[in-house]
Amino acid sequence: MNNTRPGLAQYAVLALLAIVFLYPIWWALSSSFKPAAEIITSPLSIGELTLGNYRAMFADVPIGTGFANTALVLLVKGAMTMFFAPLAGYAFAKYDFPFKNLLFGTVLLTLMLPTLVLIIPLLLEMSALGWVNTYQALILPGSIDAFSIFWMRQTIAAIPNELIDAGRVDGAGEFGIFAKVVLPVIRPGLAALAVLTTMNVYNDFVWPVVAVNDTSHQTLQVVLSTLAQNVTGNRIGADFATVWGELLAAGSIAMLPLLVIFVLLQRHFINGILAGSVKG
Amino acid sequence: MRSTRLSPYLFIAPFFVVFAAFGIYPLIYALQLSFMRWRGAGAARWVGVDNYLYLLTSPDFWASLGNSAVMWVLIVPLQVVAGLGGAVLLANARLRLRGFFRVAFIAPFVTPLVAMAQVWIVVFDQDYGLINYLLNLAGLPDVAWLTSTTWSKPTLALLFLWKTTGFAIIILLAGLQAVPGGVYEAAALDGASRARQFWSITVPLVRRSMAFLVVIQTLAVFQMFAEPYVVTQGGPYGSTTTAGLYLYNHITASDLGTGAANSFLLVLLVFGLSLVSVRLLRPKDEVS
Amino acid sequence: MSTPPLGRRGFLQGALGIGALAATGSLAACAPGGTATQPSKLAAPSASTSAAKGEITIWNRSGDLFKVFDAAIAKFRAAYPNVKVNHQAVDIDAKLANTLISGTDVPDGSFWDDAKIGGQAEHLFDLTDLIAPYKDQTSPYKLSVNTVDGKIYGVPWDLDPGLLWYREDILDSAGVDPASLATYDDLITAARTVKEKDPETRPIHLEKTPFLSQLWLEMLAGQQGTSLTDAQGKLRLDSEEYRRIFTWIQTAVKDDLVTHAPYLEPADVKSLDDGRQVFVPWAIWWSFAPQQLLKATKGKWRAAPLPAWTPGGARSGAMGGSSFVIPAKAKNPELAWLLYEFLCFKEPGYTAVYGPNDVYPGGLSTSIPSYIPAADPAKPLFQPIEALGGQDLWKVAVEAGATIPAATPIPWWWAQSVDYLGNNMQRLMEGKMSPDQVISESAEKIQRNLIDRS
Repeated sequence: MNNTRPGLAQYAVLALLAIVFLYPIWWALSSSFKPAAEIITSPLSIGELTLGNYRAMFADVPIGTGFANTALVLLVKGAMTMFFAPLAGYAFAKYDFPFKNLLFGTVLLTLMLPTLVLIIPLLLEMSALGWVNTYQALILPGSIDAFSIFWMRQTIAAIPNELIDAGRVDGAGEFGIFAKVVLPVIRPGLAALAVLTTMNVYNDFVWPVVAVNDTSHQTLQVVLSTLAQNVTGNRIGADFATVWGELLAAGSIAMLPLLVIFVLLQRHFINGILAGSVKG
Repeated sequence: MRSTRLSPYLFIAPFFVVFAAFGIYPLIYALQLSFMRWRGAGAARWVGVDNYLYLLTSPDFWASLGNSAVMWVLIVPLQVVAGLGGAVLLANARLRLRGFFRVAFIAPFVTPLVAMAQVWIVVFDQDYGLINYLLNLAGLPDVAWLTSTTWSKPTLALLFLWKTTGFAIIILLAGLQAVPGGVYEAAALDGASRARQFWSITVPLVRRSMAFLVVIQTLAVFQMFAEPYVVTQGGPYGSTTTAGLYLYNHITASDLGTGAANSFLLVLLVFGLSLVSVRLLRPKDEVS
Repeated sequence: MSTPPLGRRGFLQGALGIGALAATGSLAACAPGGTATQPSKLAAPSASTSAAKGEITIWNRSGDLFKVFDAAIAKFRAAYPNVKVNHQAVDIDAKLANTLISGTDVPDGSFWDDAKIGGQAEHLFDLTDLIAPYKDQTSPYKLSVNTVDGKIYGVPWDLDPGLLWYREDILDSAGVDPASLATYDDLITAARTVKEKDPETRPIHLEKTPFLSQLWLEMLAGQQGTSLTDAQGKLRLDSEEYRRIFTWIQTAVKDDLVTHAPYLEPADVKSLDDGRQVFVPWAIWWSFAPQQLLKATKGKWRAAPLPAWTPGGARSGAMGGSSFVIPAKAKNPELAWLLYEFLCFKEPGYTAVYGPNDVYPGGLSTSIPSYIPAADPAKPLFQPIEALGGQDLWKVAVEAGATIPAATPIPWWWAQSVDYLGNNMQRLMEGKMSPDQVISESAEKIQRNLIDRS
């Protein structure tokens, strides 16, 4: 890497940008401790602090269940993506086979089709299967997503063919080459994939909101959307200020685990992404 | 490249099994809907290409595409440049407080959008927001960030940039790892300036990641609906009704046929744009 | 119900036949929409009170109102001990329509905006017979918005009468008697008087959010007995009533008598509190502002009936409101009806919601019941409000509410029409459009983009 020492000007720019990037998060966190009405009436000052929003939010929505469900979905969906996406990406990057372009085009098509239009047909399908309100409905549709395959194809395409052929000469089977040659080389890409998949699954809300009704299957984002509707909706009626407080409390709690994990592990994430280098 | 009979099919099979189970039916269903008038209740009527014709002759549809195109111009080039700069800096082992900066730039990516969009409403409020307060301190006049058709798009673009630049940095960091340090040392010995090194070594080597980023963010910008929905509801005067929000509005009104037709028109458009950007950013030595 | 006739077998054919042929073969099987069926009519439950037994799932919005309903449902359980109520807070706007279309796992009953009900009547139980005994005792406005083709699809819940909120102290010092504000012309005159006294004021609030400004417009139109469409769905924007409203707005704007601000956002709150706004013609739910948001002017606001458009005309119109629906696919519709009958039409039910409770110690004062016996001026459910100087808001609101004329069901495209009508109202308020332009432009676009595509 290009490791020249950054100058003072660069630090100044970076520091300014860091403030810009962190301020909204700070605002959300600090406002969640303000009395609900003050979030609207005096948005920029901090006076009295209270846990009222958190108390109201915990009483109002099952956020604990939301965490548990999100964790479960994340685990299963994440595992499927982390294994199957590189595998498919490898096939698309390093093999020639009949219909390859057509098949890859299909992958891309699913990426390009707005999710919104598929919601109702998919819901009808879940109904036919009797899967509404189940974990499989939350997990399986889109469990191996096109984005990840596309990303892995791009990453694996950068591996020199000689490396793969060398593996073949050593007598490894096709899957053996994938497991023993490809996977170790693309570790950085996998680290990035892990981060991106976590974010995508964690913050996904369009499908989970319609796929489950009962409290016991709600994910974190479903809980958030329950709170957000009163703010983002028509704001007709009384309690939109208090819901605003609850929304910020829930939002703060929702982002906290990822923020903490990220702060603690950032070194490993980024070093993982930067690890190893393919000499090409 | 090597052709092997069965293995590649086996490797891609899991995706296509999931796709067959949960993709094909909704896809065909949506395609049919695009030729029908159906509002979720009552009998669906076959209307041929009427939904498509309606959209293609509707000023609102073209306005939504125009809004998204402007958003694209405001977002994608800047994000690629900023993302690359950020990635290069954050990868630099001699940057002090590297951990802090990494957290700062990537943290917005982990925040829930619905909550953070509220922040935008407050911070960019014309009369009482922080931004105008700072402008006034500097002796500058107020700006109607969210309530004028001039500024509403840039303000939303900022939200999108703020939220997803961490994503761009991650993608480009992963691309940078392919640049071996030795290349720079050799270049430095040759007396190439740092700017030269950046343009002649770094940029070509991360081209593939840049192409990927451009394609993905083009999709994201044209499908964007949550940001304008929460912050401006598409206003003022439809200036932030993006292609995604326009589509969303059909679907929430249960005008499912028009919504489906709109989706497929978007797919065509986005597919074309992706082809163009992939071609423009393709590494020179590559064919596929 | 008209979901596609898709059985498990049809689905498997469609999904697993990956080849184009197989897919084409299944096209017929998954065509959306079959033949339209008659909506189901819900008959009165046969079982007596004590015998009613079973479990129901009820959806509500989250927030304080949810807690209020929770407590009211506890009262229902006391009356019907064998009915278990599974009360859930969900994102109704995002979920209910989708759930009704898919027909799976639908709730037995749900809270819903009046504006949404007309468009989804086909998925709902026809409640005409059940509501019949209460019909003559229910606000004609609420009945009319829930009636499609002569059938009632929602149990009318809250009535949200428009009121004239005003600053008592400022009117007092300007020598304006609130009782003299009988027509909207009187209001303009009073606003001029106030402004002469204090040139800093922009006395009348005009709404800057397009959606809310259109909702406000419908309140003013409803006051005159009209609405965007007639019972057959024909647009009636081009009318004397609407022209009257737009011309009034234009006059107020030209004379610089208005504060154009978005409902209770920081800018609005500040200009309310620093005395620039003096008149806010708005629904009863504005009462939330003096109670929770305003500081400097808390206690100085009062409510009066709206002025009339013509001398002797109605003194209020409705702005928003919700009802309860029972989906046609509910598992226990009779029990859901018992719950809603209890909440809407039985004294312990509506008292539990509107009367003093744990969440609102003085009672819920942001709407009033639409059931006339519950809305008795002499028998207040919520208490006089300190933030309104101890005014008996109940009396003002129920008397104004009683004058609201009947309307028509709200068309399914109402929210979409905000892109045209709501936006053009904003142009009118900014002086960029004339009343005639608002009418012709909006009517043309609503006709072409919404009505013609129904």
